[in-house]
Amino acid sequence: MAGRDGDYRQEAADDSDMDDLDPEIRLSAKDKGKGRANPRVQKLKAQPKEVYSWEESYTRSWDAVQEDEDGSLQNAVGEFLARTRRKRLQVPAEAIRRTIVRHLVLVIDLSASMTDRDMRPNRFDLTLEYAREFVAEWFDQNPLGQIGIVGMKEGIAERVCALSGNPPDVLKTLANRRDLEPSGEPSLQNALDMARGGMSHLPSHSSRETIIIFGSLTTCDPGNIHDTLKQCVEDKIRISVVALAAEMKICRDFCTETGGIFGVAMNEGHFRDMLFDHIPPPAVRNAQNAGAPANGNGAPTNTATGDLMMMGFPTRLPDTSAPTLCVCHGIMKSEGYLCPRCLSKVCDIPTDCPVCDLVIVSAPHLARSYHHLFPVKPYDAVRSLDPNEDASLTCNGCGTAFPLTGHAPLSSAGAADGVSRYGRYRCPECKKDFCSECDVFVHDILHCCPSCNT
Amino acid sequence: MESASHLSIIIDFSPQQWHSSSSNSDQGPFSLASFLPQLFIFLNAHLASQHENTLTIVGAFPGKSSVLFSSNEASTEADADPKLYQPFRTVNAAVVQRLSEELESLPESTDAPIALVGALTKSLCYINRLVNPQTVSSTTQNTTLSSAISPRILIFSVSPDLSASYIPIMNSIFCAQKLKVSLDVCKLYGPDTVFLQQAAHLTGGSYLSIHNRDTLIHYLMICFLSPPAVRQLMAVPTEDKVDFRAACFCHKTIVDIGFICSVCLSIFCKPTPVCSTCRAKFPMKSLTRLKEALKPVLPPGIPEPSPIIDSLPDTAPALTLPGGVGMSGGGKGKGKASQARGGGQYPPLHLGPMGMEGPPNGMHHGMPPGGIMPPGMGMGGMGGGRPGPPLKKGQKRSMNGMPQGMMSGVGMPPGGGHPQMDWRSMMAYPPGTAPASTGTTPTPPPPSR
Repeated sequence: MAGRDGDYRQEAADDSDMDDLDPEIRLSAKDKGKGRANPRVQKLKAQPKEVYSWEESYTRSWDAVQEDEDGSLQNAVGEFLARTRRKRLQVPAEAIRRTIVRHLVLVIDLSASMTDRDMRPNRFDLTLEYAREFVAEWFDQNPLGQIGIVGMKEGIAERVCALSGNPPDVLKTLANRRDLEPSGEPSLQNALDMARGGMSHLPSHSSRETIIIFGSLTTCDPGNIHDTLKQCVEDKIRISVVALAAEMKICRDFCTETGGIFGVAMNEGHFRDMLFDHIPPPAVRNAQNAGAPANGNGAPTNTATGDLMMMGFPTRLPDTSAPTLCVCHGIMKSEGYLCPRCLSKVCDIPTDCPVCDLVIVSAPHLARSYHHLFPVKPYDAVRSLDPNEDASLTCNGCGTAFPLTGHAPLSSAGAADGVSRYGRYRCPECKKDFCSECDVFVHDILHCCPSCNT
Repeated sequence: MESASHLSIIIDFSPQQWHSSSSNSDQGPFSLASFLPQLFIFLNAHLASQHENTLTIVGAFPGKSSVLFSSNEASTEADADPKLYQPFRTVNAAVVQRLSEELESLPESTDAPIALVGALTKSLCYINRLVNPQTVSSTTQNTTLSSAISPRILIFSVSPDLSASYIPIMNSIFCAQKLKVSLDVCKLYGPDTVFLQQAAHLTGGSYLSIHNRDTLIHYLMICFLSPPAVRQLMAVPTEDKVDFRAACFCHKTIVDIGFICSVCLSIFCKPTPVCSTCRAKFPMKSLTRLKEALKPVLPPGIPEPSPIIDSLPDTAPALTLPGGVGMSGGGKGKGKASQARGGGQYPPLHLGPMGMEGPPNGMHHGMPPGGIMPPGMGMGGMGGGRPGPPLKKGQKRSMNGMPQGMMSGVGMPPGGGHPQMDWRSMMAYPPGTAPASTGTTPTPPPPSR
């Protein structure tokens, strides 16, 4: 029912002469596909003309790589790497309100098309592997969220895992590939209806998201899928699609209408990147930039107001306590956590108490979300060194010495995308310099500036 | 020890704390001058245990943190002492020199807080550099350390917690978890710091509060010298009593059940209409719903009938209550009666030493009155002698008695008794042989912040 107008938009990338470089570098060097992968951003920006890669003007990509005086490519490659890493940090600096309590349904295509071997070892195994990594990392970043998994096979939707806040539970359902063996045709409509039904009871302060990993080029639906699209828009479900084969009109429509992100994976690494782009919590949407023209029914924008959530902070039983049965698995074990309301013992937190339904978290779980709320300001690349100021000779984080003289900028684009030719990145608050590795490390993992926080 | 290990040492050089430590009479004076020699022995032992071992020492001073020594940039000095292993000499000389420089440059009086977080984050940055060596950085050719290196961090702490540094410390902890770095904490002076206790617990390190500080070197050698891989085989003391409950933002009291703002994650002890942190307004509907949920189902003091407990089959007597657990060593026959009583009428059990009717013989010999569970203390963990767990959906208990059934099934202590209390240590002694007062020392109340 959906049109097969998809094509390999990034096909031309394979013809580039940079195959000897890392695929990541190739991506960053040509900056291809990135703009396309984020239709929502484009929509906000006065709708630039979308250009397929084979329609682009011919670029001499090999000119971007230049040897230095010694004939070495090391600096060039290093700059590419630095640019790739920094690209992810180019996020808006102002505090945006993010959804902390997230609910996500991961829809996995389990149709026969997933047995294709265009991604090694095949699409299905790769998807399972990445899905497991994704779930683990997602819970790491969103400890208060919940994930459910829906599979599409043989024309029906199959609930692989109900919405759960407990990572081991979700991972267990993904661990067994026998249960998920791909077959038949996928049905987008059935899967989305199931995802929508599973999230319909959620309160307004939590997000409702769906990520579809779609390997097929067809969908086999019982009704009009555009009705499902309308309902998803009404229910404020954000749908993102990671396509493994090609772009499908209906998939892109789902993403643009609901404010999600659409992308076609070019290779294994790109697939992983696109999936992992969904890990940071999305900004809270307002009604006007929801990108949902169908949302004209005057629905109250109560997503913007907060809500109070009741949560229990459990007592941890030490490993030396007497073994008792847990309510979640019925296993005798010593360690565990006591629900503060009904005093039942659960194995692992965060979870919902199986007895009294209280959300059980610990203070560190809340603290794990704080870095989304108080992000480190992006460091500025140092463009010129003032000889008068006594800039430190070593990085303020790891203590590695900075190069004394900056290498010449390799390409004209070097200055624009925030790469310092001195390898120095300066914190706007404390005015201390950091090396490129520490810059990425501080913003990606550490989430606090080493010299601002005394 | 097959692989090399990296040790980052963070030392808290708070002048005030060290001064009061050296003039303290409670635990015996312990000055920086008596600490450093023991530290040097430990450092040398670390370097001596494997040739490839590396070391970084970061000092936390008021308002700044600086690297005192790093194995990577160690310069071999010319004046080698033939009697001393050269790396030992390099470390000791470098640390003493850098430390005296730093201490000299300290301002006379400063209110700046100790830069413990700065030192911690610097160590993490350095370890990140070690674990993920960058192939392209041509300047650091000597970082040929394999990725099999097992890094860890040891913190010598003398200062109390700084509440302002909660978020950065937590961020550092999660970062350490990601890098698989274990944080060990050695508390030399002052009250326990809850933040560092959490750090040690969450990263699998050990937290050790040193009481007899003249023998510090023994603690260091036994607890902190072995790398994490070896430590699994050893009985290193770990901190098992860490409190992970949160304090509410409004009254700073420790809460069991809190109300969290969905926007900024502030914690409140009771439902409020407006978040005091981010000014978000909460809908009236959820306020009334939450207030309903808070109400206890039964007024306090009324013992609940317990049909479930009485109708329990005889098959699982040992699973039930702390009384029952304690009894697994004692008589099983009499156990059941007391279980039923314990499960059914738990309010009376608050008052006396809990479960005393239960163990039939000699379990309470020599117990100080209220020694196992003083009402104020033991209950403290569970919210202070609440008569019974209030239920959100009041019907649940009356409808199917589910929570009670579950409670008895999973061995919950009645009436919110703290299962962390010492029935375990009671069991360590056969009934009747328990010494007069040892072994029954009540667990200290969970630390609060």
